[in-house]
Amino acid sequence: MIGTIARKELTELSRDGRFRLLAAVILVLAVASTAAGWLQFTAVSRQHAEAQRETREQWLGQQEKNPHSAAHYGVYAFKPASHLSIVDTGLDPYLGVAVWLEAHRQSEMKFRPAQDRTAIQRFGELNGAEVLLVLVPLFILLVTFPVFAGEREQGTLRQLMSLGVAPRLLVAGKALGTLAAVALVIVPVSALAAVAMAWASADSYLAADVSRTVALGATCLVYFLVVTGVGLAVSAWAPSSRVALVTLLGFWFATSLVAPRIATDVAGSLHPTPNAAEFQRALDADLSDPEEARQRLARLQAETLTKYNVTSLDALPVAFSGLSLQSGEDHGNEVFDRHFGRLHDQFSNQARVYQWAGLASPLLAARSLSMALAGTDFEQHRHFAKAAEAYRRDIQRTLNDDIARNQRAGQPYLAGTELWSRVPDFTYDAPSIGWVLGRQATALTVLAGWLTLAGALALLATRRLSATLG
Amino acid sequence: MLEARHLTKRYGTTTALEALTLTVSPGEVFCLLGANGAGKTTTINLFLNFVDPSEGQALVNGVDVTRAPLESKRHLAYIPETVMLYRNLTGLENLEYFAALAGSTDLSRGSLLKVLERVGLPADAADRRVGGYSKGMRQKVGIAIAVAKGARALLLDEPTSGLDPKASNEFSELLRQVSGDGVAVLMATHDLFRAKESGTRVGIMKRGRLVALHGTDEFSHADLERLYLEHMHD
Ligand SMILES: Nc1ncnc2c1ncn2[C@@H]1O[C@H](COP(=O)(O)OP(=O)(O)O)[C@@H](O)[C@H]1O
Ligand SMILES: [Mg+2]
Repeated sequence: MIGTIARKELTELSRDGRFRLLAAVILVLAVASTAAGWLQFTAVSRQHAEAQRETREQWLGQQEKNPHSAAHYGVYAFKPASHLSIVDTGLDPYLGVAVWLEAHRQSEMKFRPAQDRTAIQRFGELNGAEVLLVLVPLFILLVTFPVFAGEREQGTLRQLMSLGVAPRLLVAGKALGTLAAVALVIVPVSALAAVAMAWASADSYLAADVSRTVALGATCLVYFLVVTGVGLAVSAWAPSSRVALVTLLGFWFATSLVAPRIATDVAGSLHPTPNAAEFQRALDADLSDPEEARQRLARLQAETLTKYNVTSLDALPVAFSGLSLQSGEDHGNEVFDRHFGRLHDQFSNQARVYQWAGLASPLLAARSLSMALAGTDFEQHRHFAKAAEAYRRDIQRTLNDDIARNQRAGQPYLAGTELWSRVPDFTYDAPSIGWVLGRQATALTVLAGWLTLAGALALLATRRLSATLG
Repeated sequence: MLEARHLTKRYGTTTALEALTLTVSPGEVFCLLGANGAGKTTTINLFLNFVDPSEGQALVNGVDVTRAPLESKRHLAYIPETVMLYRNLTGLENLEYFAALAGSTDLSRGSLLKVLERVGLPADAADRRVGGYSKGMRQKVGIAIAVAKGARALLLDEPTSGLDPKASNEFSELLRQVSGDGVAVLMATHDLFRAKESGTRVGIMKRGRLVALHGTDEFSHADLERLYLEHMHD
C-alpha cells in the first residue's frame, strides 16, 4: 500500500515538466559542488603531502648548526583532510589546516581562504553540504507542498478519502514517494562522490571514513525526513496549495537562511572572542614581561645551583643556556595554554550554542553533525591544534635537552643529522567517530526531537484531513 | 446495507438534514430527489464520514461510520458529479491506484482492462492520460473503481448531470448491472426520468427532510413528475 502510494507520487512527478527542471537544476548544482570539492580535496591533499615531505626533508637536511637555530628553523604540520571534506569543508576555510611550529611560539593555523571573515561558523561558498542541507530541502518542500493541498484542489482527495485508507499509510506512502524523488537526484550524485572519494584515497583514512560516511548519510536522511514531515503536515493543514507553498517557503527561509545568521550572532555575543590583534596583544604582554623573565631566570639559576650543589654556572655539568631556553618554553606554554585555552573554550561554547540553536532550526543540528562527521568542525580543529602543539613542544624539549647536555660554556656547539632525526615525523590520528558523536549529543538529540515532531505533525494533519474536507 | 437512523446535520442555525431514517438494501437503487440545498449531498457526505452528524447514525453494513471510519468505507464506493482523477496518469493507472488503495488484490493489467471494458471505456483510452478524458469517460472509470473494489454499496451524487443523453443512458445501464449484482445504491439526482428508469425507490427531500418515499413501480414517469412538483410547491 505504502509502495503503491509512493510509486504513484513518483510517476506523477516524473511526468511533471516543472519537477524535471527542478531535479535537473539540483543535479547540476550537486555535481558541480561535488566536483569542486573533489578538485579542492585532491589538490590540497597533494600539496599537503608534498609540503609535509618537503618540510621533513628540509628538517633532516639541515646542515650542522646549533639546535636552537634549528628550533627557529621550524616545521609545518598539516591537518589531514577527511574524504568527507569533499562534501562539507566546514570551518576549515576559516580556521586553516596547517600550522607552523617553531621555537617560542604557538601559532594560529594558516591557509585560511576565508581569512578576512571574522566570525566563526559563517557559511562559505556553495559546498556539497549546502546543496544537501539547504537546496535539497527546498526541493523537498517544492515537491511536498501540493501533495495534499493540490489533491484537495483537484478533487482527487475526496476520491482518495472515500476509499478508507489509513492516514498513517497515506503519510508514509507520500513521504516515501517524496524521498524516492529526492533519491532520484541524490543517489547518482552520491555514487559519483563515492567513486571520487575512492579515487582520491590512495591509502589510509578510508576505513575510518566509511562509518563517518554512513553516519553522514543517516544524518541527511533524518533531516530530509524532518523536512518531508513538515511539508506534508503543512500541505494537509493548509486551506490551499498557495498557502501551503508560501508557508513552506517561509519555513525554509527562516530555518535555512535566517536562523544560521542569527545563531552565529547569538553565539558570538554570548561567547565573545577577541579579534586577532587584541588576542595577540594580550598574548605578547603575558609572554614577554621583562620583570617576570628576570625573576624566573634568577629563580632557575638558584634552583639549578642548589640542585647540582655548585656555586657558579660555569661549574655546572650541564649547559645553563639549554635549561633557560626550556624554562622560557615552559613559561610560554603556560601562557599559551591559558590564552589559547580561553579562546578555544569560547569557540567550543559558540559551537555548542549552534547545536542548541537546532531547536529553532533543524538545519543547524544537521549542519553541526555534517561538519563534525566531515572532520571540519571546531572540536576536530582543536584536537588537531593540540596534537600539533604537543609535537612542537616535544621538538623544543628534545633540542633544548640536547643543548643542556652537550653545549660547553664558551664553546660553539653544533649538532647534526643524528639530532635532527631524533625528532620524529609528525603523525596525527583523527579522533574516532565515537569521540566525534559524543560531542554532538545535543545536535543528535535535537534532530531526533525534530524527527518525532515532524512525524507527529504530519500524522495529526492527515488524520484531520477528512474533517477539513469542506 | 446502507442505513440512516435519525440522521441529522446542522450547520449553525440551518438544518441541512433532519432526522433521516432510511434503509437501502442490496440490489436496491434508491434515488434521492430534491431541489438544490435539499440535503442530498449532506446525506452522502454523512455516509462517507466526510462530515460528522449532529445527531443520529449512519451505518454501512451495520457499521457506524463515525465509530469505524475505515472499516465502514471498505464496502463503499463514491461517485461524485465529476469523478476526479489524476490527470497525468492514464485511465488504467488511475484505476490501478484507486483499486490498490481500496484493498483489491487482483491488479493485473489483464483483469483491470477487463473491468474497464465492462464499464464501456473505449479500448484505446485505457492507456491515455486522463487529462484528455470526457466527463462520461471519467464517470465510467468511477464505476470501474467501484467494481474493482468489489463495493457493496454505491453512493452517487448527481453522477449524470451534465452528461449527454447517450452517456447518461449508458451510465444508467451500468448502474442497473451493478445493482443486479447485489450492490446497494444511493443516488442523489435531479433526473426524474433516470430515477424512474433505473431506480427501485425514490425519496423526495425538501429543506433537509424526507417528505415522500415511493417505489418507482407505483407510478408512471408523468406521475412521478407531478408528485415531485407538488412537493416542491409552496
Ligand atoms: N459546509 C457547509 N456549511 C454550511 N452550510 C452548509 C454546508 N454544506 C451544506 N450546507 C447547507 O446545507 C444545506 C443542504 O446542502 P446540500 O446537502 O449540499 O444540498 P443538495 O446536495 O441537496 O443540493 C444547504 O442549505 C447548504 O447551504
Ligand atoms: Mg448536492
